[in-house]
Amino acid sequence: MLLNRETSGGRWRIRPDGTGKVTGKLAYLTDLSLPNMLIGRVLRSPHPHAYIRRIDVSKALAMPGVHAALTAKDVPGLNRFGIARPDYPVFCEDRVRFIGDAVAAVGAETAELAELALAAIEVEYEPLPVVDDPERAILDDAPLLYPEGNVFHRNEFKFGDIEAGFAAAAHIVEETYSTPRQMHTYMETEGGLFVPGEDGRLTAYSPTQHGFMDRMQLSRILAKPEAEIRVVSSPIGGSFGGKDELNVQPYGALLALATGRPVKLHNSRWESVRAGLKRHPMKIRMKTGVDADGRLVAHRAYVVADKGPYSTLGAEVLNFATEHVVGPYRYGAVDVDTVSAYTNNGMSGEFRGFGGNQAIFALEGQLDRLAALLGMDPWELRRRNLRQAEDPGPLGQPISVTGGAGQVWESLAGSALWGRRSDPALRSSSTAPWLLCGIGSAYVMHGAGLGVGIPDPAGGRLELRADGKIEAAFGYEEFGQGLIASLTQMLVEMFGFAERDIVVTIGDTDVVPDSGSTTASRATSMMWQSLRRMRGPFGGKLLEAASVALGKPADALALGEGGIRAAENGRLLMNYASLAASLAASSAQPIRTQTRFSYPTSPVDRVGAHYMYSYAAVAVEVEVNTLTGRVRVTDQYHAVAAGPVINPQGYLGQIEGGSSMALGFALTEDAVMDGGHYVTKNLDTYLVPTIVEQSGGVTVDAIEELPEGDEHGPRGIGELGSVGLAPAIAEAVYQATGKRVSKLPIDPALLQERFRFD
Amino acid sequence: MIEKTYLSAGRSAPLRIRVNGRETELDVPPSKRLLHVLRDDLGLTGTKRSCEIGRCGACMVLVDGEPVNSCLAMAYQCQSKSVTTIEGLSEDGMTLVQQCFLDEGGYQCGYCTPGMIVSVTALLANDPSPADTDIQEALSGNLCRCTGYGGILRAVKKAIELKREQTG
Repeated sequence: MLLNRETSGGRWRIRPDGTGKVTGKLAYLTDLSLPNMLIGRVLRSPHPHAYIRRIDVSKALAMPGVHAALTAKDVPGLNRFGIARPDYPVFCEDRVRFIGDAVAAVGAETAELAELALAAIEVEYEPLPVVDDPERAILDDAPLLYPEGNVFHRNEFKFGDIEAGFAAAAHIVEETYSTPRQMHTYMETEGGLFVPGEDGRLTAYSPTQHGFMDRMQLSRILAKPEAEIRVVSSPIGGSFGGKDELNVQPYGALLALATGRPVKLHNSRWESVRAGLKRHPMKIRMKTGVDADGRLVAHRAYVVADKGPYSTLGAEVLNFATEHVVGPYRYGAVDVDTVSAYTNNGMSGEFRGFGGNQAIFALEGQLDRLAALLGMDPWELRRRNLRQAEDPGPLGQPISVTGGAGQVWESLAGSALWGRRSDPALRSSSTAPWLLCGIGSAYVMHGAGLGVGIPDPAGGRLELRADGKIEAAFGYEEFGQGLIASLTQMLVEMFGFAERDIVVTIGDTDVVPDSGSTTASRATSMMWQSLRRMRGPFGGKLLEAASVALGKPADALALGEGGIRAAENGRLLMNYASLAASLAASSAQPIRTQTRFSYPTSPVDRVGAHYMYSYAAVAVEVEVNTLTGRVRVTDQYHAVAAGPVINPQGYLGQIEGGSSMALGFALTEDAVMDGGHYVTKNLDTYLVPTIVEQSGGVTVDAIEELPEGDEHGPRGIGELGSVGLAPAIAEAVYQATGKRVSKLPIDPALLQERFRFD
Repeated sequence: MIEKTYLSAGRSAPLRIRVNGRETELDVPPSKRLLHVLRDDLGLTGTKRSCEIGRCGACMVLVDGEPVNSCLAMAYQCQSKSVTTIEGLSEDGMTLVQQCFLDEGGYQCGYCTPGMIVSVTALLANDPSPADTDIQEALSGNLCRCTGYGGILRAVKKAIELKREQTG
């Protein structure tokens, strides 16, 4: 179905959180303040790599109005954090390893005072050699970040006889692909308000993608029981993976407990740039061979990722890349080696697409280059090698069966945009011969969920509250994707409630169940599965209670808008408030259903292998200005097969918005570093797409059909859209100019031509 | 690195501005940014802080009807001027532009939305039927990281269409 407001009909709903957003009345967590609060600031390292010889905070502490100046020795618990492996120092003790490393934090009565206090802290550093190239980092003579060496993580995947495969190949393509240090650039920088309670509890109002993970980590840092910490984490002004790890929370929490006063932190953009996560820059060397019929006979990939100094989810990202450089194709033999290397560069970590963006840019580049050597249509080459519905996944693991791979192939092949390739008028215009047009495409198979071997819990709770509202409580976060809207829509469509009957409770560890993280394109799938599990029990209990209250058989009753209705004619018999009141009057148990399960996984022991996949095919038309070297995207077509569309507005927004990130990845975005220092410090030089770059059309075909008997329902779409556009642009540029792009963002100098104007 | 945006040199001085129709008198340093006056002194947090160098538009407000990045305007520059923030676009309820953003889904996380809506409001006040290139020009200083601008463009076009219908 072509997805837009018209085709969605009544399913296109106004978001429950929309009014607050368009009126400015919604308070984000960085908008909160309290009258007696202090301003917190963090002192970060001026050096990418150095020993700390001395830290002296006494002058800062002596300043009137400065209430705390904390360093490593003031951390009561574990002076480290990190979701997968806690190796990221809250405060560095004796060594800094990147420009975002924290050495101290202050709490002061005003922002100006906090700034002056930071300047009054004396730190003596002894600079160390800077490791700023991941490939050099793993050579024997490289300076070490850690005594164990600079190799952070390795992975591999191999099958078949790779050398025999290359020997039998009719054509071989070898290419090295490079991808940029892309920044999430959430418009709301990290921050929050940290409030110590009189009861000794601490409340952290600060964005995250998994409140319970933050609570556990804060508990470890503060040496304070989890029950004494409350994390309030939504709404969020964008995250895209970037607020998944702790950021300002340890400092806010420590300062609040040290001073006994509420503490607010809100990073400046520069502080967000220097300390925040980025997409792992990767260099991917590939060698791929085809036989004369276009069958992939051998595929070798070597990936080097720039980890920066600490783990974050870097191992998981590399595992994801290992899986996705293989992707949706069949091969005679595969030989993949991947390595992630510690450097003193910026901190890499989780980011929408999670290593797939880099992997698929390289893989699709290989397919396009092979098609050109074969003289074959690039889409036809993909068809000849495409996985079939029953095939195992990229790592040979059993996966949930869908026809998605074939469906999106067909959709793109039949699209008007792709059909325009053969139009002779396409390539250039006679009035402006420096403008060249081309059309390219790319294929995406993207895994969702955390994968084998990683705890991936899910669940939620439904309750009829005393006031008659149906409360849906989930431990997920709203960072813009429309999670509240999708949950509301499912409750309306699966249960028959009216929107006004429903209260959605999320983002507060005191009141929600742990539903696992809001990451890895998993939340909508898991909410759908939770509601499906709870529909029978919860609906049954409501009808049973209504049956008692009304004196009618339960099977004559139905859930509906506003209350219990007659199954026969839909007449309202009892509203939910009356039902709740009758329960209270008879001292009956409140009606409440909870479910807890895990994201489905593949029955293999390969860590990180995925079970559920979404598929996309992307076609794009570009116009290359060979005078300026600039590329303009003029039209996009996205075919997406990810099961039923839960929330049309949200789905469309995820594909449009995701592809905008891919556009930036392809054309303009790079947080440039030089010797471990950021050259790109703010949005004047870090260029995310504006409305001008996004003026071309975007068409989304949402393919909902799943095999009969499918139990898994909607697949993830949160990341999928951010992947395929970049390789499609690279091919479109080739079609327009005959020039191959192997490095992103595309350097305009590559595409500039000398023109003679006669 | 000193954060100049935080530092407000000099002593406080009286500032008279009209904010969302209300005459307001404050004592603030003359170089304090309007963004911080609005957010910290007046509690008008609908105006958002993001890049603080005038590149993202999250802090856009109207000063005497013209769109201004409030992170770039100092208090003294706003002396005796009339400032309208997102909170002041409509007394109660919503303007047509706000309603169109809501209907078309012209937002996701919503953090850029107040600034975006202020810019659209200024555009349509000056020109009720802007060409596509005028829309692009007017909104090129407002970054949205979530939507890819699809929903925003649909909202703007809807607002133009409805305005045209209203005025016949």
